[in-house]
Amino acid sequence: MGTIRVRFIIVALVVSFFAVGMAAFLNYFKYKSTISGIVKSRVLVIGRNVENSVQASLSVGMQFMELGTMNALLSREKASDRLIHGIDVFDQTGQVLYSTERARVGEKVSNSWIEAAARSKTTEWGTEAPDEYVAGISLKNNFDLTVGYLALRYSAEEVDRAAKVAGREILLASIFSFLGIALVAPLALIVVIRRFERDLRALEAAASHLEDRNEPAGPTGSAFDTAIGNLRSSLREANVALDDLRAKLDSVP
Amino acid sequence: MLEKNYLWRIYWRLAGVIMVCVVIALAVVSFFSHRVFDRELVPETEQKAATVGASVRALVLKATSYGIDFSQLYGVEQTFAEVFEENPEFAYMAITNTEGNVLFARGTEPIGARSHFRNPVVLQIAHETTELSKAARVGQQYIVSMPINDDGKPLGVLHVGIDAAFVDHVLLEVLLDVVVVLVVSLFFTLELLNFMAGARLASGLGEFARQVDRMRSGDFTATARIRANDEIGRLLRRIDSAIDHLNVRYEFLVGELQDKLRTATAQRREALKPAQDALEGISKRLRFGSAPEATDGDEMNLNRIRAPLFAFILAEELTRSFLPSYVNQLIVAIPGISPQVVIGLPIMLFMLIVALGQPYLGSWSERVGRRKAMLVGAIVATIGFAGTALAYNLYDLILWRSLCALGYAMVFVAAQGYVLDRTGHQNRAQGFALFIGAIMVATVCGPSIGGILADNIGYRLSFGVSALMSLFSILAIMRLPTTEVVLPTGKPTRGPRMREIMALIVNRRFMTLTGLAAMPAKVILTGVCFYLVPLYIVSIGNTSAMAGRMLMVYAVMMVLIVPLSASLSDATMRRDRYVSVGLIISGLSGLLLLLSDSFLVLFGVVFLLGLGQALSIAAQSALVAEHCQEEIRIYGNDAVYGVYRLLERLGNALGPLIASLLVILWGYQGSFVALSALVLFCGIAFTIATHGSEWQPAAPAHS
Repeated sequence: MGTIRVRFIIVALVVSFFAVGMAAFLNYFKYKSTISGIVKSRVLVIGRNVENSVQASLSVGMQFMELGTMNALLSREKASDRLIHGIDVFDQTGQVLYSTERARVGEKVSNSWIEAAARSKTTEWGTEAPDEYVAGISLKNNFDLTVGYLALRYSAEEVDRAAKVAGREILLASIFSFLGIALVAPLALIVVIRRFERDLRALEAAASHLEDRNEPAGPTGSAFDTAIGNLRSSLREANVALDDLRAKLDSVP
Repeated sequence: MLEKNYLWRIYWRLAGVIMVCVVIALAVVSFFSHRVFDRELVPETEQKAATVGASVRALVLKATSYGIDFSQLYGVEQTFAEVFEENPEFAYMAITNTEGNVLFARGTEPIGARSHFRNPVVLQIAHETTELSKAARVGQQYIVSMPINDDGKPLGVLHVGIDAAFVDHVLLEVLLDVVVVLVVSLFFTLELLNFMAGARLASGLGEFARQVDRMRSGDFTATARIRANDEIGRLLRRIDSAIDHLNVRYEFLVGELQDKLRTATAQRREALKPAQDALEGISKRLRFGSAPEATDGDEMNLNRIRAPLFAFILAEELTRSFLPSYVNQLIVAIPGISPQVVIGLPIMLFMLIVALGQPYLGSWSERVGRRKAMLVGAIVATIGFAGTALAYNLYDLILWRSLCALGYAMVFVAAQGYVLDRTGHQNRAQGFALFIGAIMVATVCGPSIGGILADNIGYRLSFGVSALMSLFSILAIMRLPTTEVVLPTGKPTRGPRMREIMALIVNRRFMTLTGLAAMPAKVILTGVCFYLVPLYIVSIGNTSAMAGRMLMVYAVMMVLIVPLSASLSDATMRRDRYVSVGLIISGLSGLLLLLSDSFLVLFGVVFLLGLGQALSIAAQSALVAEHCQEEIRIYGNDAVYGVYRLLERLGNALGPLIASLLVILWGYQGSFVALSALVLFCGIAFTIATHGSEWQPAAPAHS
């Protein structure tokens, strides 16, 4: 196989690898973000229930720091979805006021939670840790002032498992697609560059008989015919001149 | 001899085949992805529907617990509407009684829903006392049904319908990115064909053509070149061999004649006269011996600059669509400076360093060598990209971006010098076409791929990819020839002097071109494309990938229109008109946002801006040579073009600053409109200023 053909095939394989790789990458990340979004919005449905209860309490004049039934409500809501690890309510300094885990009350939440809540342009926010994800809601009073935050900690396992399954299948599909290209593209390329290779072969054949004195073969239809003709006639001309010199030298004993 | 576009015809055919293969492969990947999405997303969405349903059911049960009759509930449809608003994948919600009759419903009822609700299995759900929910495919929806049961007393069933096409909608969003990948793949294919095969092929065929021309003109001198071990290399070796044989024969004949003459008597000398005459004739017509050592200025060497330049520029272009958003994330309050201006600060500083650095880095790269200058520049930029990826806050980000700018200016100037060193008057345009081609392809591919990466792997890792790409460019630069080409007659280049800058700034003709055309064109380019588009798109809830697609539209317009407008403006010699029309179209672009702030209108803005810039960009710099001949005579070509480029690049730096100030005053849309109005004003002023007879093109001289 000619080295030029090999190079063309390598180009096809590199480009296909890039395209298939990018498509797989895009599909995988789209899947992951979609499934994360679905799971997050499912968790937030429960969060909204808590938010509604808090707002109802605040609207009847209760203090945010003194919502007596809050811990029980959080425990009840947590039990409604096995995905949820725990629910915390914390103030603007990050101190946990209510939680499904008593031990967490009074502790400070991670700074990343407060930053994520502050960065969000809506009342919903979220952040990801390696083992669990957090979906949150900024709790506002009747005057639309943020009084605290609700954080629902849920298992990353569900998303990770789904992403792993999908990732494996997308990867397999991509590998098979790439292997398909690796088989088909060289054949297709060979067909397309046949004409070019024929031109090159004609050129090589002509070049291998450059010094032949007999009449050259007729035109091959190659793009190089004119060049080959010029090459031959230049060499013939030079040889004829040297032949003439030879003859004149030989004529003198 | 060979048609000029012979190789390009082959490239396009090859690219076509590769693209067909890629499209088929992408279709296969998309098909399997759809299957996975369908299989995995639907159950997950069903669980979500069950959770949402449980919340709605709790409301219903609360109402009935106050004694309201289940069939007389008020506001149920309204609650359903709120659910649809928050969950667009839900298409239908209904509550049926224990007989399966619909009491409340909202959304598109799937075909066969009524009979499904009366199905005994579904009716049985009402009697369940657990949190159970059941899902079934009904028409074009997946219906999730759950009991409404008041402490053992069955009231009815709640049904939530999930649109089966929602998976298609999710994949449709991916499809846009896949189309971007296809376009980028096409450009990559052409670039790789050129890099991996074309450079050597073009060089080999070019060498073959030159060899044929030399032999036709009677030049049979032997060259001592090392030929590549491929088809063309073997061919050239055969030609070399034929020439060597001729040379040996010639040398032998000359030697024999000289020997005979040395020992010849007068009579014999007379007999050798015809042979002597024949040799003289041959010496006049044909040349034998060794060819002078070839200079390195062949196409092969020129082509070799393309890959490192492409890789390096791509590294920077990758960041275009998300850099302002990244700055926004790391922003630190600077007293007295608005956040909008602070976001534009790194872009502004980058442009300023490039503008001020380039004139002086040109002579530096000449002194240290183009290859070394490119290497240093790429290393500096790689450190800059890596630092940007790890930046702590705005302050160190500015430092890292400054390194990127310095590296960018070094590589750009050195690569430009590399082309200049290896081209003469005849092939300089060809050399610069290659140089600009690499930049344009990087401009098409970079922002779109960068946007996709930023959306999926985050800003920091995307800068990491830029650093890797820059690192790759270092490897490609290292493969450049180590020997520098020094032009024997070339004067060392220098930056413009302050005296020249001051003199040209007050020159009316020069400033008409620079102040009314070149600078406004750059102001709107960087102001809109590098600052406003990425920020505005994200501000209206879109992604960096979309900003990248927008910037790709601009780049594609440039790639398609610039060659056409350049040749047309050269042919008609009415370059001023192309500049006028281009500026006016650019100026009209942002005004579109007065009509609507829709996404399609923004697309129109970028499209028109690309069209306007493409029409005017090539003609602008040619106009300097055409109409500032007097200034060139006084200050020299280098000084006039040096000042022109300096001011043009200062326009680049001013763009984000002006745009950010306008955002403070009038918001994003107002900024688009005001910036465009400024350029429109400049375009009209330029048209009026160049209307006089002194701006008419000189009549072509009759040959």
